[in-house]
Amino acid sequence: MSEGRPQSSNSLVAIDLGSVNTRAQFFDAVEGRYRFIAAGEAATTAGAPTFDTNHGVLQALAQLQEITGRQLLNERGLLLTPDAEGNAGANALTATFSAGPPLRVITVGLLEGVSLHSVNNLVDSFHCEIVDSLSLGDRRSPEQVIDAISQNLPDLVVLAGGTHRGASLSVVRLANYLALALKLLPESARPPILFVGNENLQSEIDALLAPITKVYKAANIRPSLDQENLGPAEAAMSSLLYEVQAKKLGGLHLLNQLSETRLSHSAQAFGRTVRFLSTVIDAPKGMLGVDLGASTTTVASAFAGELEVRSFPGLGMGRGLTGMLAETQLQQITRWLSYDIPDEFVLDYLYNKPLLPATLPSTPHELAIEMAAARQVVRLAIGKSLPMFPANAIYPLTGTVPWFDRILVAGSTLTRQPRPEHSLLAVLDAVQPVGVVTVILDQNNLASSLGAAAAVDPVLAVQVLESNAFMNLGTVIVPVGSPRPGSTVLRVQLVRDGQKEEVVEIPEGGITVLPLAPGKAADLFVQPLQNMNIGLGAGRGGWIRRMVGGTFGLIFDTRGRPIQMPTSFNKRQELLQTWEHALTGGG
Amino acid sequence: MLAPITYIQPLTTLRRTRQLPVEGLITVSLGDRLRGTDVIARTGLHKQHIMLDAARALGAPASRVSKLIQRVVGEEVEEGAILAGSRGLASRQLRAPAAGKIAAISEGQILLQISDASAQVQARVPGLVIDIDPGQSVTLECICAWVQCLWGNDLVGEGNLHMVADGPQHQLTADQIDMSLRGAILVAGHCSQRQALELAGQVPIRGLILGSLATRLLPVAEKMEYPIAVLEGFGKIPFNGDAFKLLSMHNGAATTLNAQANNPHSGERPEIIIPLTDAGHPPQPVEIQSFRIGQTVRVLSGKYKGQLGEIIELRGNVIYESQLRGPAAELTLAGGGRGRVPLANLELLG
Repeated sequence: MSEGRPQSSNSLVAIDLGSVNTRAQFFDAVEGRYRFIAAGEAATTAGAPTFDTNHGVLQALAQLQEITGRQLLNERGLLLTPDAEGNAGANALTATFSAGPPLRVITVGLLEGVSLHSVNNLVDSFHCEIVDSLSLGDRRSPEQVIDAISQNLPDLVVLAGGTHRGASLSVVRLANYLALALKLLPESARPPILFVGNENLQSEIDALLAPITKVYKAANIRPSLDQENLGPAEAAMSSLLYEVQAKKLGGLHLLNQLSETRLSHSAQAFGRTVRFLSTVIDAPKGMLGVDLGASTTTVASAFAGELEVRSFPGLGMGRGLTGMLAETQLQQITRWLSYDIPDEFVLDYLYNKPLLPATLPSTPHELAIEMAAARQVVRLAIGKSLPMFPANAIYPLTGTVPWFDRILVAGSTLTRQPRPEHSLLAVLDAVQPVGVVTVILDQNNLASSLGAAAAVDPVLAVQVLESNAFMNLGTVIVPVGSPRPGSTVLRVQLVRDGQKEEVVEIPEGGITVLPLAPGKAADLFVQPLQNMNIGLGAGRGGWIRRMVGGTFGLIFDTRGRPIQMPTSFNKRQELLQTWEHALTGGG
Repeated sequence: MLAPITYIQPLTTLRRTRQLPVEGLITVSLGDRLRGTDVIARTGLHKQHIMLDAARALGAPASRVSKLIQRVVGEEVEEGAILAGSRGLASRQLRAPAAGKIAAISEGQILLQISDASAQVQARVPGLVIDIDPGQSVTLECICAWVQCLWGNDLVGEGNLHMVADGPQHQLTADQIDMSLRGAILVAGHCSQRQALELAGQVPIRGLILGSLATRLLPVAEKMEYPIAVLEGFGKIPFNGDAFKLLSMHNGAATTLNAQANNPHSGERPEIIIPLTDAGHPPQPVEIQSFRIGQTVRVLSGKYKGQLGEIIELRGNVIYESQLRGPAAELTLAGGGRGRVPLANLELLG
């Protein structure tokens, strides 16, 4: 439990500018601890007809004001000075944004597997689209490279290469290609360059490129062949991302002026929350965060505070569905449908949604399609993120995610389901975790805001994270191995309030629940059979101490990895309903 | 809540500012009257180049070679012209391998532009040039009937409107397309026949306006070499009555079909523009509105999809049939009956 007293009722308004919705969230001290109080929501107004994000911000604040009954707006806008009684206004504002198109970035590095790999890692963790990459191994002719750079009209070029005191001539050669390419563009269209290569070359790069465009520099991201140092470059990228987007998104600059800290992109702020949560987890287990947005999906993982973030601007539940559909076969979506919906109807719905991203599923069939699509979007994002997970984590099964202690799930498609069992099943089907993992739902869409708020008031962030603003769906135990179909794979015994309960046999191929009320703790003894692995090693069991119950208690997912779905619709429907009933206690 | 709007305007003043992707050469003048397919500017984005390494050709270090380059950026050169070299009998020279223009010089390397093919920017909207920001943008004004669409294949075309559809439920089939339609912009209902799209391209027509398109034909429509715009979306959705009536009224009229891709960031949408003369100077469309009782709206998704209705009640937080919660509107549907629809699934018809 975090201790610390809120400084004299320091209330905070957090704004999150999403690609479809803008949220205004209010935090304040209640009985000596910070709490999330309420949120208002409005459509994001970055595009036509207003081209001013502040329209949506003011509407969201007006709704928040109506819900809380606290005056937050006056004739000049947001009231940022609270009155003497602390009943009106707020002490501070923070803001995060994911609205706007991703930055078009060209990455340049010496070697594909070394500096270019690191540059791509850096750029992939931001709201960016890599439109071209260039390295010494590029097979295109120099003029083809130059034409490609100039015709792509990038928003930013990130240049790396050369270890500390390493290669220099080749880096300058690549920089010269850039210089030639940028000279072909009118001055107003020349992108800034971020140089994150050999620091000894900074003055030479400046001499070559600074007369042509703005050059920013950060510490070498690859100081040696086996060392990656992304930290300083990330700070520079974050700053550049804001600067470029502020030119494109009306109102962003004003919001930044009101904010206590520089506006951060939602993906980075979400990552900070995931990193914080990982610090209370014993290594080598980690923390996974998945934020399923309308245009972008963010996957963040942190092991002992070491954060990795991947942002996928082409994958989401609104405009981002286009990216998912481009790399998906329909059957990969329909396998998750428990309704018999014609393929044509599913396709029509999924192809219309990117054109009308703000629409909501209004019928059970539409909701089922969205949840099936959400599984596939997250599945693709997780698949693309596998290389970022550390090699020294625990992998009970190769080709899966490593053993995460907790999964934080954000994004309204997953978190605002009318029935939480649908959210839990979607997360289990999409992420397919292994080991023993607790699933936490960011039902109020706070994770990004708290990541930003932590920079202003860490106590606020910590106390809200510890509050019931997040929903613990339950702890899931996932054994993996090659059991006989239908056989018993685990024997488990719960010890509640010092009392041993009956041994329960957990069968292969389904979902089994042991009730454990939310917030209640119990110890669990697990004995894997048939050499099954729950993360402690094949066939190894033991005590899992102080398991805390969630909405669905303790859940045993013995469906195997990857989950195989029958091709027959009737069998599939029966299976999907059985899993759902297992969670709800239905027949 | 700000309401999304799809405009179906019998008479309006449309203003469009066409921003160039990069600074370029504006090729029109104030007061020019343009067609949608006219070129308004050229940019140098798609030029082809040859890179020549003067340092290597002359065997001189890069630091010294700049003194040996005899040309400057922007200079036109003939094939075989000397670009760099020293004087003297035994000197080495670098000659232009083709005619072109010196595009850039850096660190002993010369970039020779060998093609003058520049990217052209089309007006996309017909009308009078009322403002020019040199090198940056052109603003056009058009008095017209105007219908916005939902999807387009990014092409633009002009021709006379031809109603193939006999009603909002019409279905386009290949047997409805013949040589008499050559050069026309067709208005049809739903299309689920690949052959119909392909045959229309062979005629060729100048454009196709559809109420809706079968989703599986999307890749085919994207590849067609004539503009296609879809009003309602993918799947079998009837043509909305207001747009159908308006287009029927202008059967035979000269029309621009700007089937540009839907871009939420710039606000650009595919659109049908029917210029009207002697129509005075009508107001520009109202851009910002909230939902109110009495408004006519169109349902974008759900079981009433594509239907028009009138708002009779606005409700704050209701449970939809999907069990999700949110604000909704009670509608009297144009087709009869009442329905409750999430506000997020409605748009105004402007």
